[in-house]
Amino acid sequence: MARKMLIDGELNQSNEQESHYDFDLFVIGAGSGGVRASRFSANYGAKVAICELPFHPISSEVVGGVGGTCVLRGCVPKKILVYGASFGGDIEDARNYGWEINEKVEFNWKKLLQKKTDEITRLNGIYKRLLSNAGVKLLEGEGKVVGPNEVEVTQLDGTKLSYSAKHILISTGNRAQRPNIPGQELAITSDEALSLEDMPKRAVVLGGGYIAVEFASIWRGMGATVDLVFRKELPLRGFDDEMRAVVARNLEGRGINLHPRTTLTQLIKTEDGIKVSTDHGEEFLADVVLFATGRAPYTKRLNLETAGVELDSTGAIKVDEYSRTNIPSIWAVGDVTNRMNLTPVALMEGTCFAKTVFGGQPCKPDYRDVPSAVFSIPPLSVVGLSEEQAIEQAKNDILVFTSTFNPMKNTISGRQEKTVMKLVVDAETDKVLGASMCGPDAPEIIQGIAVALKCGATKAQLDSTVGIHPSTAEEFVTMRSLTRRITAGSKPKTNL
Amino acid sequence: MAAATSLTTPKLSSPTLQSLYRNFPIAIPFYSSFLFLPKTLSSIPPRRLSLSPSHLHRRLFTVRSDSDNGAEPARRYDFDLFTIGAGSGGVRASRFAANFGSSVAICELPFSTISSETTGGVGGTCVLRGCVPKKLLVYSSKYSHEFEESNGFGWKYEIEPKHDWSTLMANKNAELQRLTGIYKNILKNANVTLIEGRGKIVDPHTVDVDGKIYSARHILISVGGRPFIPEIPGSEYAIDSDAALDLPSKPEKIAIVGGGYIALEFAGIFNGLKSEVHVFIRQKKVLRGFDEEIRDFVAEQMSLRGIEFHTEEPPQAIIKAADGSLSLKTNKGTVEGFSHIMFATGRRPNTTNLGLETVGVKMDKNGAIEVDEYSRTSVPSIWAVGDVTDRVNLTPVALMEGGALAKSLFLNEPTKPDYRAIPSAVFSQPPIGQVGLTEEQAIKAYGDIDIFTADFRPLKATLSGLPDRVFMKLIVCAKTDKVLGLHMCGEDAPEIVQGFAVAVKAGLKKADFDATVGIHPTAAEELVTMRTPTRKVRADLRSEGTTDHEVKATAGV
Repeated sequence: MARKMLIDGELNQSNEQESHYDFDLFVIGAGSGGVRASRFSANYGAKVAICELPFHPISSEVVGGVGGTCVLRGCVPKKILVYGASFGGDIEDARNYGWEINEKVEFNWKKLLQKKTDEITRLNGIYKRLLSNAGVKLLEGEGKVVGPNEVEVTQLDGTKLSYSAKHILISTGNRAQRPNIPGQELAITSDEALSLEDMPKRAVVLGGGYIAVEFASIWRGMGATVDLVFRKELPLRGFDDEMRAVVARNLEGRGINLHPRTTLTQLIKTEDGIKVSTDHGEEFLADVVLFATGRAPYTKRLNLETAGVELDSTGAIKVDEYSRTNIPSIWAVGDVTNRMNLTPVALMEGTCFAKTVFGGQPCKPDYRDVPSAVFSIPPLSVVGLSEEQAIEQAKNDILVFTSTFNPMKNTISGRQEKTVMKLVVDAETDKVLGASMCGPDAPEIIQGIAVALKCGATKAQLDSTVGIHPSTAEEFVTMRSLTRRITAGSKPKTNL
Repeated sequence: MAAATSLTTPKLSSPTLQSLYRNFPIAIPFYSSFLFLPKTLSSIPPRRLSLSPSHLHRRLFTVRSDSDNGAEPARRYDFDLFTIGAGSGGVRASRFAANFGSSVAICELPFSTISSETTGGVGGTCVLRGCVPKKLLVYSSKYSHEFEESNGFGWKYEIEPKHDWSTLMANKNAELQRLTGIYKNILKNANVTLIEGRGKIVDPHTVDVDGKIYSARHILISVGGRPFIPEIPGSEYAIDSDAALDLPSKPEKIAIVGGGYIALEFAGIFNGLKSEVHVFIRQKKVLRGFDEEIRDFVAEQMSLRGIEFHTEEPPQAIIKAADGSLSLKTNKGTVEGFSHIMFATGRRPNTTNLGLETVGVKMDKNGAIEVDEYSRTSVPSIWAVGDVTDRVNLTPVALMEGGALAKSLFLNEPTKPDYRAIPSAVFSQPPIGQVGLTEEQAIKAYGDIDIFTADFRPLKATLSGLPDRVFMKLIVCAKTDKVLGLHMCGEDAPEIVQGFAVAVKAGLKKADFDATVGIHPTAAEELVTMRTPTRKVRADLRSEGTTDHEVKATAGV
């Protein structure tokens, strides 16, 4: 991060034709996409301003913070809590490795949360410095689009400032959504979950997406009783069905109570906690109910309708392949466009935007083979197509290679948890269409595989790579026997 | 082992084992090589195997592997292939050869955790005295660091966790017993005849195992290597890595002599288990042959975890004191009070007493068997794979050599092992993963190269407060943009490097790395987000540029 940006400034472009605008670029929202676009644009020689709400760990209409979701309310604090929670399992595993650990091991949630807040505060500062080092002007306040080239910033004291800009970039991200059920105000979203005063002893998580399974894993790892309630048969819709089943099994194996095909009907506050009712007539008491039921683009207060920027039915800003909205001077990147809501994708979109608009090299983000990870415990990571997607899209037969094994560490720890790896291959071209893994270190392992996949690696190329022994990852280059072959034209089985 | 063919078989502790498993012809509906069954298969009489060696001796049903060009007179042998040494390479070659339809015997010494002229065990170095037990000890010792880290994440232990060495040894040995059993079953299921005893070559087609004589069309030597301790006064008090993996009690204070990967791995193990660890190396730096920056980085990180390095300090003598403690005398003085002194001073091929000189198998000055690209020795019917040939001494390479040999001999597909871009790891703490060329090698081979490095404090360390860092390095050919080498030292390095090894082996470019989207937040994503060269090395003007040390906690926005 910091290290890179200081170096890559290549001043250029003396397009001083008509600088009657205050700025070449005005960016609303200083999250991953916005900061990247600002910084790179400034490096290309543009005059850039970016506005962002004041810092607070929990976002609202009046607070946010430089760094955005990823740094303040997403990837980073989440991963910190996952690290914290993983020690729970490690301590259990250590015993058979000869470690004598007193039964009384304490976990201090407050201490971890304080350190988490210190860390994101530090990062917030680093991000601000990044912007100022790049020569980007940071304005604190709420930005609104007034016209194709005009932005209004409402400052903390209520005063409004107007700026003109040749280009406007919207990168305001998205926000957690809440289902509308009786008592919904008793529940929290992931923002609050990352800043709870006390650790919940009993947590109910509603949702089957990655945020839901990550928080379920976090609290369970720290010793809480966790009930995970989701609508489908399996969590993680959209991922490979076989891997979804593996994740479900592992979550259960780690002690999380799964409630598939279930939804919550109401929440009632009682003396002993929140009484949670499901549509199956079950009731449990919880200290915390987390809604992880999706996120919606944050476009409401941007005044986009007036400015004529088109939104889709979910409120996401519609953009073309270059991230341009229907108004030629207004652009949007990141989660607010609801394309592929991942930090590195927002970075890619921000980079492409800067290149296109200020670098003189039109550049489309490439959404093929974008790897991703779910930091459940143990984690899932994937790149390319799921088996179902491959069957749907492929013209040729599909070869599926899977490997289910007890990782070496478990032979002594005694943990009953299988690691599963999977490759989906085009039978005709031998190209690897998808790779996935659920097990320790999966996200770290998949990254390199993603490079190979992105470049169209064949199964033969994987096979010709020598393994690193003894590692888990070597399994990906030693999967010699076919698990199954799916004839072209078959229908993917189910939609669980 | 009927379940062995099931694809949902639990992973045997060694992934190697698992891959071994997978190739029973019955279990493999697909693997292409098996579609071309060797012609010999049809000529094999139904096998009624009684596995007792006495019956095998001069068995009547002999099989002749064909593929002959008619030139050779039809001589009958007990076996198509006789393998001496059931380690990674030998087992792989035998099993594949049997799968290709040949009759195979393999001999191996009886099991013991410590190898000698009379003991060994099915599984070989990797499974019994190397990769596997070493990694188990690494897992165990790493917990102390994890406990420390966990303090920074809010975990508190009323009493500091204490380690019980005997529990670890017992569980480790139970696992090794299980694995050697699994290996035996693998051989059995592949119809490879296992003979326990010491094999010695009598003539180009004859092996003597403890007095019993077997004839074979081909003989494969895969007896591996053994630790080597130089003769200095008192060297009889030193232990080697075999012994270090199976000590009766944990060392209180240990001297480790040597700067190679074995020395560093054991230094990490004992340091993690709270022994006082001193490492004595002859050179200025550890890990000769590795990238210079990695060498510096790993030594610094290990020092920060409490290991004391004594550089340019070769040992001269070991002195045993009256109280039983050991002193190490070096060129610089004497360090006293060691409970153990371990030598990790290299390994030598196990080629003594194999009868090699008698049959004329050529060896190099270190005793390694000389082979051609197909692993053939100077005697046409005798072959050798694995550490005994001292090519690249790694389990997966022995597997590759064994697999290639079986194909060459019994599948009519002459196959050379491919030694390009072999990744490898050092399970030091922190560990190292690498693939391809070092900076020095790359400069020599390509002249103009660009170096990308990252040296950062990982997210975990910012919370734990420990001084852990991660170092990554990409070496790129300036002319072609090809990634020539990739090196990493830091948590998960071996797991991270494997996937990148596919990319390096496939000859991918830096631009391909850059085009790959990161997985956030991981350490590995750093390898696809290195935008600016740290320095450019040009043949004419020497390197320029700077390294910077920044914190990595979030995506590089």
